[in-house]
Amino acid sequence: MLSFALKRLLTTIPVLWIAITACFFILRLAPGGPFDGERPLPEAVKRNLEAHYNLDKSLIEQYFIYLGNLLQGDLGPSFINQDFSVSEQLLIGLPYTLIVGGLAFALSIIVGVLAGIAGSLYRNRLPDVALGAFILAGLVIPNFLVAPILQLVFGLQLKWLPVGGWGEGAVTHLVLPVTVLALPHVARISRLTRGAMIEVMHSNYIRTARSKGLSDMRLLMRHAIKPALTPVVSYLGPAASYLLTGSLVVETIFGLPGIGRYFINAALNRDYGMVLGTVVFYMLLIIVLNLIVDIVYAWLDPRVRH
Amino acid sequence: MLLIHGTNRVAILNTAVVASQNAPVLDISNLHVRFQSADGLVHAVKGVDVQLHQGECLGVVGESGSGKSQTFLAAMGLLAKNGVATGSAMLHGHDLLTVPKHELNTLRGNRIAMIFQDPLTSLTPHLRIGEQMSEVLRVHQGFDSAKAKKTSADWLQRVRIPEAARRLSQYPHELSGGMRQRVMIAMCMLCQPDVLIADEPTTALDVTIQAEILDLMDELRREHKTAIALITHDMGVVARMCDRVQVMRYGEYVEAGVSEQIFYRPEHDYTRMLLEAVPSIPVFDAELNEVASDANVAHSGRRALDANAPVMLQVQDLKVEFAVPGGWFSAPRKLAAVNGISFALSEGETLGVVGESGSGKSTLARAILQLVPASHGTVSWLGSSLGQMDKLHMTGLRRDLQIVFQDPLASLNPSMSIGDSIMEPLRVHEPDLALSERTGRVALMMHRVGLDPTLINRYPHELSGGQNQRVGIARAMILKPKLLICDEAVSALDVSIQAQIIDLIKSLQEEFKLSLIFISHDLSVVYEVAHRIMVMYLGSLVEMAPAVSLFARPQHPYTRQLVSAVPVADPVKERSRQRIRLIGELTSPMDPTARLRFLPSRLQAGEAHHVPAIDECFEGHFVAEHDALESLLMAPSRALL
Repeated sequence: MLSFALKRLLTTIPVLWIAITACFFILRLAPGGPFDGERPLPEAVKRNLEAHYNLDKSLIEQYFIYLGNLLQGDLGPSFINQDFSVSEQLLIGLPYTLIVGGLAFALSIIVGVLAGIAGSLYRNRLPDVALGAFILAGLVIPNFLVAPILQLVFGLQLKWLPVGGWGEGAVTHLVLPVTVLALPHVARISRLTRGAMIEVMHSNYIRTARSKGLSDMRLLMRHAIKPALTPVVSYLGPAASYLLTGSLVVETIFGLPGIGRYFINAALNRDYGMVLGTVVFYMLLIIVLNLIVDIVYAWLDPRVRH
Repeated sequence: MLLIHGTNRVAILNTAVVASQNAPVLDISNLHVRFQSADGLVHAVKGVDVQLHQGECLGVVGESGSGKSQTFLAAMGLLAKNGVATGSAMLHGHDLLTVPKHELNTLRGNRIAMIFQDPLTSLTPHLRIGEQMSEVLRVHQGFDSAKAKKTSADWLQRVRIPEAARRLSQYPHELSGGMRQRVMIAMCMLCQPDVLIADEPTTALDVTIQAEILDLMDELRREHKTAIALITHDMGVVARMCDRVQVMRYGEYVEAGVSEQIFYRPEHDYTRMLLEAVPSIPVFDAELNEVASDANVAHSGRRALDANAPVMLQVQDLKVEFAVPGGWFSAPRKLAAVNGISFALSEGETLGVVGESGSGKSTLARAILQLVPASHGTVSWLGSSLGQMDKLHMTGLRRDLQIVFQDPLASLNPSMSIGDSIMEPLRVHEPDLALSERTGRVALMMHRVGLDPTLINRYPHELSGGQNQRVGIARAMILKPKLLICDEAVSALDVSIQAQIIDLIKSLQEEFKLSLIFISHDLSVVYEVAHRIMVMYLGSLVEMAPAVSLFARPQHPYTRQLVSAVPVADPVKERSRQRIRLIGELTSPMDPTARLRFLPSRLQAGEAHHVPAIDECFEGHFVAEHDALESLLMAPSRALL
């Protein structure tokens, strides 16, 4: 198990390196730089700034300096927000992003799995069909459309929930962003669970379990659910990354002070350090999440442990 | 390791008569099963009666789709959701078809239990063996976990699973197919049910393991007076096990009676047809082993071989090794799937290759056709070595070398019509042919293999298994090859279809002077078609002989054990045959000393790398060096129940 996890970690190193390299150069390909504004800076000031951030060196030199710093755990300075380094800004935004993202993740799994099981048990009957319609809606309507609709209905018309803002983390402030973030994943997870459950319930070993005289409840809890969860678990890795990228948009729409907002601002301002830092951080997060998913997978299915 | 186990069970035939005087434990009457399907109502079982008495074994025989499984699935309440059963199935005064589910659940697994065909998929993969077994005892007997564990371990021991206590904490995938089927039987027997339903319990298993499982079931029946309903298509298994037989077709019984009557005086044409279609190995008296003259072992009953026929294929010391990846600290190891095989094949000759799963039969076929690279040795076709041939030459030669695979449906491209599949080799090898000529050739070949040419635009899923295998044969034959390899080509088919396909292959051989390599795990089928038979064990040749000679005077302990394990469709002969038994499972092919399994004297002498020599003991009858059977026998310590 340990060697399995270790192997997985090692294989992610080249992936990480390729992604950083690609990101670094693509960012530089885009026209403009961090110090170009509507009002150009005086030449001398600009040159000083560029020297400070090593921007006057060749691109390759800059690349190796960045990699060198990164290896020492230094994400470098922010080019725009000089008062904080990239790591500091990320740490400020992180709790908000983790709370919203984590809640959405948990909600997606719980609601998705339950809805999927219900759908499989009531296959092609009313609950299944209703769920199917809801799920289709969740899948096809993009979150930047769902969010304003919910804001309109629950915020402005019914006045049940605040339209945005963090509000000291009050639950009412969390409901809408978490729901919007979770919706497509609830949909997808419930589809996956439903399909897997239907397949498992037709398998030979469920027939064996029935022939042993087990009650339906025992059949479901002990014999059916675990194998039906394997496709769901393998979706959780990608789901985590969708959630992170989705949080960029959702945080902006709901005005939450998470990492997403920094990222979007940084991209607009060509804040090279901040954009790269966020990308590296997200990648690390996703790699760790995928590792956890693989371990859970091995726990669910003894056959992959070898 | 080896011991002789002689069973004389003719006397058992009479117990049925005694048993039937009591009331039946399971009484199914006028059972109908109907399925609601897209094509309308399917009437799968049409008014069937089954009376099962204490301690008897009833054989329910029929081909696929005859409703034999559905009858008993209905009694167990295991029909698919779209199935409805009417009639009655009485067990201890309860009608299994109408009792409420919670009551049914107190009966099944407890008083009536069922073993299924495929042991690989019938156990829950993520639960330990111990968990799966003890939950039966907890649910039905209210045992606590310690007591349930102890009883489970006891039963694993009784079905002769070594290291029973350790097995309890293993997962199903850690056990072999034979082991899993034993676990399944132990699980069914935990509550000592009155009725045990076994649905093709040994069909997926090798013949020696089948023999073990059948013996086990027979012992349980005698020891615990369990009534057994054995659902099977194998008349040999029926002959060995059953007191009474019911023959089913299209959801109805065509004939029922005691075994001797069904086997020796069948009344219905279908029963007769079934019995005739069953391929069977010849049974020789033990004395013949000594006196068998060469005249006796000539190719009796089969097409004589032209002694002057040219040699087509020559295989010399062929080895195929696969690298098995090592771990962090261990180097990759080599697995010899084929370990030094040599033989020659003449024009018009059929070589049968038999061996159990993992013996390297299929790898041998693939290596001959250069579909996997050989790591050592040569394959020569008409004198030129295939291994050294460049790719272009090889492609040209492939028209002479064709293969038919086991699973007819899976080996045809589902998105191509069968006409396209049959035609494809023509496109490659005769690209100049006009479309009309090609279509003409396809139609001709379809007609030749017994397919209606109007099916030309159908897709594989629209055809039956037998029809699809004819497509596979037509595809292989369209280029008029000189060598045809049949890799388990009839194993997935019903006996009557199997007999038709074998006849087809034989007649094609005669017409085209084909050289045939016929690979099968089924010795009876191979005996039916082959001039010579090669027996393989873990990649090595253990014995090769003319077909009759192999069965009349098998020399190698492994062959003798294999031959003695094949059930013969004749109750009296079958029950009086002496069985040579090999206890335990196959040794791992990774073990470098595996090939010395039958030569322990060399192993003890420290010659771990000795390669058993091949001797010619009779004319054309070759056998690998082995210790005498008698010296291989250990004390007969088989624990009876």
